[in-house]
Amino acid sequence: MEVVVQVIISSLSLGSFYALGALGIGLLFGVLRLINFAHGDFITVGGFSLIVPATAVVAVPLILDFHPVALIICVVGVVVVWALASYFLLFRHIQTAPPAVLMIASVALSFSIQNLIIMIYSGRPKAVGLWPELTGVIPLSDKVQVPILQLVIVAVTWILLILLTIFLRRTPIGVEMRAAAEDFRMARMLGVNATRVIALAFVISGALAGIMALMYHTQTGILSFRGGVFLMLYAFIATVIGGMGSLIGAVVGGYVVGIFSTVLIAILPEGMRGFRDAFVFGLVVVILLARPQGLVPTRAFKERV
Amino acid sequence: MLLSVEDIYVHYGRVPAVRGVSIGVSEGEIVCVVGPNGAGKSTTLLTISGVLRPSQGTINFDGQSIVGLTPEAVARHGISQVPEGRHVFTTLSVEENLRLGTRMRRDRAEIEADFKRVLELFPVLAERRRGAAGKLSGGEQQMLVIGRALLTNPRIMTIDEPSLGLAPNLVDRVYEVLLELRESRGLTLLIVEQSSERAIKAADRIYVLRSGEIQLEGDAADLQDGEKVRQAYFGFTEGVEHAGEATF
Repeated sequence: MEVVVQVIISSLSLGSFYALGALGIGLLFGVLRLINFAHGDFITVGGFSLIVPATAVVAVPLILDFHPVALIICVVGVVVVWALASYFLLFRHIQTAPPAVLMIASVALSFSIQNLIIMIYSGRPKAVGLWPELTGVIPLSDKVQVPILQLVIVAVTWILLILLTIFLRRTPIGVEMRAAAEDFRMARMLGVNATRVIALAFVISGALAGIMALMYHTQTGILSFRGGVFLMLYAFIATVIGGMGSLIGAVVGGYVVGIFSTVLIAILPEGMRGFRDAFVFGLVVVILLARPQGLVPTRAFKERV
Repeated sequence: MLLSVEDIYVHYGRVPAVRGVSIGVSEGEIVCVVGPNGAGKSTTLLTISGVLRPSQGTINFDGQSIVGLTPEAVARHGISQVPEGRHVFTTLSVEENLRLGTRMRRDRAEIEADFKRVLELFPVLAERRRGAAGKLSGGEQQMLVIGRALLTNPRIMTIDEPSLGLAPNLVDRVYEVLLELRESRGLTLLIVEQSSERAIKAADRIYVLRSGEIQLEGDAADLQDGEKVRQAYFGFTEGVEHAGEATF
């Protein structure tokens, strides 16, 4: 019983994490048909913004010492600026290119960011103590303990999901964004400003990455130049499973991947746990064989301007 | 001339799709461009819309050049575009689709009045207001797209094949509505149509486009018997009797 409760909470928290990542990727895919492999690196950048840029082994706090509210605003702000810069300096100039070109550009951007981080901060991992008070546990009974951070991650994710839903459903610019994701050319013919909609998608995607950076680095306590890469990989398969371009699909896919990985860890015999990824990616293959369009299909692969 | 396209050339890669096409539309006029598949009709409209760029030639709207503008900038000039294949946003509600048409406008009071008028014009849209637009039938979607285009308060509406994929009685209804709109609000229309019979019935003036070139241009009144149009449409003079039997 104790194990079941813990697995449920852990899988919800991990699933929330992947869902947020998948949303960040799905939003950009929706409006730009961009599969952004640099999304994970935006998360890494958010983590490194906490400390003073230097190659020294011991990290010197920068934003890390700020008041929590200022800290959140600064980290999210830094990542949003990176996301916007990557749009205006890179993707905007190739936005009419085929999706494969956009994807490869994002891979190049990803490696550039990683190497830039190595140049500035060195390649060694650095310890960073972000919000240690969140790493405690709440005892539910003698045997069941729930990590506070996991609850925070689930709560924050759902708040963000609700805010994003309200934005997309209730605001005119949100409706424009949904329209653009479905049929960008028609949206433009109705006067929807393409640059504004895409830039806003980068802002939201960047903000999600910034918040993920905070939660991720609170959990790991370690800054590494490849920190976000695996997150991106899992978030990406979540979007594929969910159905590229569907935001609901991204969330569903995130939870499927999160729950499946956590359950695997719980039920696999000790010696096989190291091969969890093989099972997770095996699941992806099975799902795609059964439903190549993803769990929540969209018209995403239609041609666009 | 409200809209004047002069001597435009449009290429897909190196393949010319439109060669030296000139089309003029005056205020309050209904102009139809007819021609067979692949004649360059849609290409011409997409070029006016700013989706494609002409390699040569000028497009002026109300005396201003609109060549090289983005589709949204062209739309802001008051050119409302209804591209081929209806293009409703299927995941958005009917109302959200319609409201998208008003996003360029700032005249709030007028917007609400226009919105009511469109719902009166198309009662089925009022009934399905909150439903997903993807659930509408083909004819209803065409009404939605025209209603949405009207809500941009256009100075000219360009429509690509309004009859595509619709049952004949629905096509009649679509043209009825378009003619009504011209009567009631002096709407200027540039319509691309495959059926020359429809075009002759609805239009004030007709252009016949084939193989990327204008073959014939004239007042619909002078082309009533359809013979000249058919010749230009098919591109041969012998065997015209045979061509006349084609159901187009």
